Amino acid sequence: MNKWFKSGKPYIWLTAGAVSVSLIAVLGLLALIAWRGLSFFWPAAIHEVEVQANDGSTRVIIGEVYDREEVPIRRLQESGVTLEGFDGEFLERQLFKVGNREFVPLDFMWVMEPQIIRDETPADLAVLERSKDGNFYGYVVDVLENGESVATPENVRDVLFERIERAVELNEQASDLQQGEIGAINYQLNQLRLEARALDLEGNLTEAEKQRLAAEEEALNAQYKELEKELFAYREAASRDSVVMRDMRGMEVTVPMYRVLDATFPNDMGVLSKLGHFFVQIGKFVSEDPREANTEGGVFPAIFGTVFMVLLMSVIVTPFGVIAAVYLHEYAGKNAITRLIRIAVINLAGVPSIVYGVFGLGFFVYMVGGTLDQIFYPEALPSPTFGTPGVMWSAITLAILTLPVVIVSTEEGLSRIPSTLREGSLALGATKAETLWRIILPMASPAIMTGLILAVARAAGEVAPLMLVGVVKSAPMLPVDGNFPYFHLDRKFMHLGFHIYDVGFQSPNVEAARPLVYATSFLLVTVIVGLNLTAIGVRNHLREKYRSLEH
Amino acid sequence: MISVTPNTSNVESLDLANLTPEQTALEIRNLNLHYGDAQALHDISMNIPKNRVTAFIGPSGCGKSTLLRCINRMNDLVEICKVNGEIRLHDKNIYDKNVDVAELRRQVGMVFQRPNPFPKSIYENVVYGMRLQGVNDRRTLDEVVERSLKGAALWDEVKDRLNASAFGLSGGQQQRLVIARAIAIEPEVLLLDEPTSALDPISTLTIEELITELKEQYTVVIVTHNMQQAARVSDQTAFMYMGKLIEYADTNTLFTTPAQKQTEDYITGRYG
Repeated sequence: MNKWFKSGKPYIWLTAGAVSVSLIAVLGLLALIAWRGLSFFWPAAIHEVEVQANDGSTRVIIGEVYDREEVPIRRLQESGVTLEGFDGEFLERQLFKVGNREFVPLDFMWVMEPQIIRDETPADLAVLERSKDGNFYGYVVDVLENGESVATPENVRDVLFERIERAVELNEQASDLQQGEIGAINYQLNQLRLEARALDLEGNLTEAEKQRLAAEEEALNAQYKELEKELFAYREAASRDSVVMRDMRGMEVTVPMYRVLDATFPNDMGVLSKLGHFFVQIGKFVSEDPREANTEGGVFPAIFGTVFMVLLMSVIVTPFGVIAAVYLHEYAGKNAITRLIRIAVINLAGVPSIVYGVFGLGFFVYMVGGTLDQIFYPEALPSPTFGTPGVMWSAITLAILTLPVVIVSTEEGLSRIPSTLREGSLALGATKAETLWRIILPMASPAIMTGLILAVARAAGEVAPLMLVGVVKSAPMLPVDGNFPYFHLDRKFMHLGFHIYDVGFQSPNVEAARPLVYATSFLLVTVIVGLNLTAIGVRNHLREKYRSLEH
Repeated sequence: MISVTPNTSNVESLDLANLTPEQTALEIRNLNLHYGDAQALHDISMNIPKNRVTAFIGPSGCGKSTLLRCINRMNDLVEICKVNGEIRLHDKNIYDKNVDVAELRRQVGMVFQRPNPFPKSIYENVVYGMRLQGVNDRRTLDEVVERSLKGAALWDEVKDRLNASAFGLSGGQQQRLVIARAIAIEPEVLLLDEPTSALDPISTLTIEELITELKEQYTVVIVTHNMQQAARVSDQTAFMYMGKLIEYADTNTLFTTPAQKQTEDYITGRYG
């Protein structure tokens, strides 16, 4: 035993064990959120169960099995549930997602396993994904066009799919019109209003100007009227059809087709078509806007906001960090003050991020933003332009938050460059600045990239400061769009990290939101890993290019 | 006694103490150098003749590299370093206040102990100095590259891969590339700081042959701890010890009939 200790093997085991534990922890975390998040998109079977209550009455429940758990009978009894004829300590109960929010008080329902007297998964059961009120579960009875039946029981599915496709297409055209051309007109109208205000403030609002603005407004309004007509035409066309469903109460319900986004018959699907549906759902999740207070639909604006903000932050933090590091390492005297500054910079990395948020709100948003508004946007006051949280302030705040990381790793990179290379350059008649620019900085670029990778990893996951300086639950417009000047850095934005918090804690429907929390978390990790892999790829390329001499 | 083969080239010996201005490349006058409180060079005075190879020899820490680095003011990089005295190039003290150090270093090139090519292509390494001077004309640069690489006896080995990374070259080739880089900007004086100490014997031989050719166009000052090398390549040799210039004479004279006891002890291998 003593020999074994002396051989050094225990330390190998110890170190390898520590690595394994870390690896298992990380992989386990990823596997859990991936499994919980991704299984949400897999089409679950729809059960039709008959439940017998204690008094002998029965009722039918249609829905997905969402969760199961074992509960001690005693706890149920204590909470006032009376159960008769059951033995044993534990009882299994199932959580059904029954949807049909407008007709049932709760769209989730617990059912005691022993009370189920019939459990079937009929192939005819359908799920309608709707733009409002969540999913609808039931049997498809008929499809109506202007109130008239257009389907027979044999072809009802085909007709349904065909009509859904039409309605979805019309809805898309309507929303394109609304967000595209109508949005542009609204934007221009607003600009006109601001222009009038600005002219008025300068005292240049002459009659001629007034007339010109009025004429322009008139023209825009006329355009708007045209587009509005078109929009209403789309809407009306979309509301032509409807589908008749029989729900779990046995009642026939007419669902307007323009509300229906998709219909699936999961009990009638093979593995391949389920797989297809799975990927389609994932695609929708990453490409669509959220609906119904973020509990349904996709997260595209949040992905876009996260990536956009992080890129903006990188653009700000890299030059600042590199320049500061160059000064500290190359020009500053090697004395106590420099050391003090360096220590201060390193310690900045330890300041809690919420403090940066408060600083960003107080300094950037209110002071800098407020001043900018007074100087450049007086026409929009009292409604603030930059004097309110927005994507630019978020990027700048996070840039300050991540500045120490970039400075420290750049300095490290600068100090790793062999002094012989500096001397070689200086001996050829280069000045210090030329040497820096031509030799040192290119060679330090992998280290700069390392700093950037760390900065991105930290910034992309930050939520707390963003809540103060620009993130919102739901942003009506992306920070980038087709209206001049295309980048609207004053706008608020959505962020995946905040989205997780919002869906997980602020949602009116906790059960419905839970899988979205996992799915969004998985997506956030994927986005950060994606950003990092890009940066690592660039760094490896640079490293290969500027591989230092093997001395 | 170490067998030292004196330089066989037929250069007429010069009166080193009384060179004519045409014969002089550099004049060092009463040079003292301090690192903080420690004095590294003591009152050095010597004349370095034009188009000749001058070698500094001496034991480790004798100040020979320090003296060499004074000639292109590389010691300026060391903050605690203080220099008194004069080094005259073109009858102008290079330590004068109004001297442009970058311009001085263009006139006095330097090659270091270890090959230090830049992380660029062979071509870009050679034209680095030209680009610093704002020369970007492709044809001019092409000519400079060919002339310099030929001058450094490297052209034949690399002419087909000028755009390959300089790190792909062997140590000896890298050192010749560094010499090519130095002569690309046509300096007057070329300082070589133990240029072969990191190289294998065959590469060393190539570089030594090259040094003999280089003196046709440049004044060469070489620091070496290898006495045979000094004897093989140099025309005059300075022996330094403890920061003092002990003896400075024709290489033949110094190695065959040293005037000082310390010199004799050193070249016969009694210390150092």
